[in-house]
Amino acid sequence: MAFQNSKESRCSTFGQRCNAGLLQGVGLAAAALALLVAAVPMAAAQETIRIGAPLALTGGLADEGMKQQLVYRMWAEKVNAAGGIEVNGRSHQVEIVEYDYQSDGPRAGQLAERLATRDRVHLIMAPFGSGHTVIAGTVGERYRVPTVACVAGAESVFSTGNRYLFGTISPNGNITETVVQYLVDSYPDLRRVAILGRDDVFPKSMAESTAESAKAAGLEVVYNALYSVGTMDHSSSMTSIRRAEPDWIYITGYSQDLILARRQMEDLGLTAPVVTMVTGPAMKEFTEGLGGLANGVTSSTWWHHSATYEGLGVWPTTASFYEDFLAASGGEDPDYVHGACGGALSMLEEVLPRAGSLDGEAIRDALAETSIETFYGPIDIGENGMNQARDLPIIQVQNGSVVVLYPEVIATGSLQILEE
Amino acid sequence: MITRTGLILFAIWVVILATTPLHADNYIVRTAIMISMYSVLALSWNFIGGFTGYPSFATVAFFGLGAYVGAIAQRNGVPMVVAWMLATIVVGAFAAALGSILLRLKGHYFAIGSIAVVEVCRLVISSWRSVTGGGDGLNIPLLRWSPDDVAIFFLMVMLVLMIIVFALNAFVSRHRLGFGLHCIRQNEDAADMVGINTTLYKVIAFTLSALFVGTAGAAYASWVGYIDPTDSFSILMTVKVPVMVLLGGAGTVLGPVIGAASFVVLEEIFWSNFLDWNRAILGMVIVFLIFFLPGGLLRVSFRKVRDRLKGREGVAT
Repeated sequence: MAFQNSKESRCSTFGQRCNAGLLQGVGLAAAALALLVAAVPMAAAQETIRIGAPLALTGGLADEGMKQQLVYRMWAEKVNAAGGIEVNGRSHQVEIVEYDYQSDGPRAGQLAERLATRDRVHLIMAPFGSGHTVIAGTVGERYRVPTVACVAGAESVFSTGNRYLFGTISPNGNITETVVQYLVDSYPDLRRVAILGRDDVFPKSMAESTAESAKAAGLEVVYNALYSVGTMDHSSSMTSIRRAEPDWIYITGYSQDLILARRQMEDLGLTAPVVTMVTGPAMKEFTEGLGGLANGVTSSTWWHHSATYEGLGVWPTTASFYEDFLAASGGEDPDYVHGACGGALSMLEEVLPRAGSLDGEAIRDALAETSIETFYGPIDIGENGMNQARDLPIIQVQNGSVVVLYPEVIATGSLQILEE
Repeated sequence: MITRTGLILFAIWVVILATTPLHADNYIVRTAIMISMYSVLALSWNFIGGFTGYPSFATVAFFGLGAYVGAIAQRNGVPMVVAWMLATIVVGAFAAALGSILLRLKGHYFAIGSIAVVEVCRLVISSWRSVTGGGDGLNIPLLRWSPDDVAIFFLMVMLVLMIIVFALNAFVSRHRLGFGLHCIRQNEDAADMVGINTTLYKVIAFTLSALFVGTAGAAYASWVGYIDPTDSFSILMTVKVPVMVLLGGAGTVLGPVIGAASFVVLEEIFWSNFLDWNRAILGMVIVFLIFFLPGGLLRVSFRKVRDRLKGREGVAT
């Protein structure tokens, strides 16, 4: 043992044999570090546009990370088959450099650093989580590599003054106002709203801005609380909500949270004429996980495949993306994560030629002035680097499938009120 | 106890890490920073887990708390280095107060209790929104230097911390405190009877295991520029640290350093080369190492490994 005073015990740690072991240990670590330095391939040929993608392929955000991966691969394949992207008169193939950041913040930073220095990527597609987007974006900013976030909806992510961070989905504020207005119009008896939010960047800001929008529209917020990440039991919140007798229950979180919340609502006999869950029905895991219980749940989303937008590049219409997606996913419908990330990549097909160079600064300046239509909808980058307001779909699960309620141009049904 | 050879090897290792900015890119430097940071964590854990034999899982609570104290102080205009010192003091005081309660538990009960500390810290930080920003996390003012300078600066900070904790480890292992802790590990009741103030000794060890982890947390927060409760109090991180120490050799001075370095490097190699299987491979490596090297890399005997592979049990370690 290392800390005994007898000569014999000292030898057992650092005697002859132990010294050999020690040397082996240090040698092993040093050799491995040297291996890291030497064995990793340097960036490939100059012609390729490299896009870094730290993906959450394992850990808490794995479902979402895999969605991003699927769309990234679809796009790269399609663009390369079509001859690549032309920048300054020369055609460039694209390459997605993928890593698994394990839904872990420090690792997201580590991998962003690797992408920026070792892989010398021209752009980084931000990880799924809003917090992780901030970490990766910070590294990108240091190296002047633009970071594009396709699913970070919280405005706080873009309020850090990072000039190199861009987001393609709209701020939460708009989405909640639209929802409140739509529900008040379609269900005039709506008076009392109960709000339960997940204490995490995006779901929290959705809950907060819904509370504000509801108050602004003259509704009474009878319950407003947050639950912490990893909560496995919502029953006390549900009981309090039942006591508040709301007409509208609004819960935010990710699929697993919301499935649990919906089940516990059922167990405790909690109902209301309108139940909204964000993201909920926007993700297919929700409807699959809940079966019949998902019926009647409304949600707002950033994109739905029944929209009819005109786009550019490899996906000129929403339908063309939908068709490609069905082929790639084996017949499963895309959700907003697929759409938003596909849209962000589509945007690059316009941005990169306009930048006229693969220099980080040039790409940044081009991104900042983006104002285009994609199959995902219009992308108009504002002052803070985030896509400006636009009409966002409201959806409801009816008979097991997702129906679009709003905007009217793409609506496929009207609001169904849940029975008390 | 550490020999001259051990000391020289440690010095060489510090030089290797410190010179990475000269001959490698920033990704390697970042890996070197992570190695130094985890070495600080592992060496700190060694006080309570290695010397004293108390399986503490509270390391990440101290790390997260340090990160938050440092971040909040910096956001309120406290200069960076002063914020780190503040974090060290607050975390040290927290550990001392907590230790006097928690260290009444032993064995598995202590382990579970220390995990609970992590959870409680996470929940408090995440619910105390007015101060900590809750689930939104906190942005910390970034150093507006070039990426190279930032990397070199934080590498030096983490290395200095690593050297301090290493020196403390070496000091304690020679001092009567180390002897006392060793006695506690072997038989706490007997240690008490021969006149060792076991409560005091354990609290000191627990506090030592927290102090510089708090500093490392605060420095980490300044480095990455953003912290949130989920990442700052991640259970995975708290499990990694004991694994590193066991990998290197618990209760020795050099073991935690070797363990942390090997673990981080292995992790990096698997991550960058096996996108889909990295976790499975890393898991297998850990199982292999713990099964075949129960004393850690420091006590490797290839003859014994061979004997085990052949099914013959070697001489007891």
